[in-house]
Amino acid sequence: MAKKPELDEEEPEINMTPMLDIVFIMLIFFIVTAVFVKEAGIDVDRPDAQTADQVDRVSIIIAVSNNDEVWINKNEVDVRDITPIVQKLKKENPKGKIVIQADEKSKSGLVVDIMDQLNALGVAGVAISTLEDS
Amino acid sequence: MTPMLDIVFILLIFFIVTATFIREQGFDVTKPDDTDEPQNLERRAAVLVQLDKNSNIIIERRKIDVRSVRAAIEAKIAEDPQTVVVVQVHEDAETGVMTNVMDQARMARAPVSVTKLDAAAAQAAGIR
Repeated sequence: MAKKPELDEEEPEINMTPMLDIVFIMLIFFIVTAVFVKEAGIDVDRPDAQTADQVDRVSIIIAVSNNDEVWINKNEVDVRDITPIVQKLKKENPKGKIVIQADEKSKSGLVVDIMDQLNALGVAGVAISTLEDS
Repeated sequence: MTPMLDIVFILLIFFIVTATFIREQGFDVTKPDDTDEPQNLERRAAVLVQLDKNSNIIIERRKIDVRSVRAAIEAKIAEDPQTVVVVQVHEDAETGVMTNVMDQARMARAPVSVTKLDAAAAQAAGIR
């Protein structure tokens, strides 16, 4: 009977294990789903469209500015260098899609060139970015 | 255990913050795989929509307005439901017009593909 008051004085401890389990699961989820998007690095004036689809899991964005500069991964690149650059970036995230953000005023010949290069690479899921027309 | 928990939390917060679920809007422009087999597309009737260097839209040698493209394509589809749309763009045509034409074709529910207008096709269509 002399032991009982001693027990009451012991500090109660919270069982951390279930919380830790949840935190670990969340951590693993976010690591697995982390898609580090290769942003183009410039803002372009995208054309309006009424029939656009949602494009998920974008991994590479290729931007074409209004004075026909091509930007990938925050660098201005030459049209002829797109194939090797995309091949390299694609290795990091093989399932990610590629979006071409072309300015309304850019030359469509250049955009079609880029599309043809990506198609020649056998990249599945190439899209031209548009803005929803309200 | 507390230091490990600290690290785990910091990692968790890092990955939550960097998780960018980018949702882009756009047209899918993936072409069908290149195969040696004859493509189905070739046997289907195609509406040729051409853009010249001043971004004029030309269907069957006639210059038409962007807003009439859908009606023109729908008329073709009424004749043959298998009709596909081929957009041929001049090197210097504006991308905005090209996407508008693609948008119109998609509104008419026709499959669209885009190619460049080569010199021979331009001459055949009377485009300079």
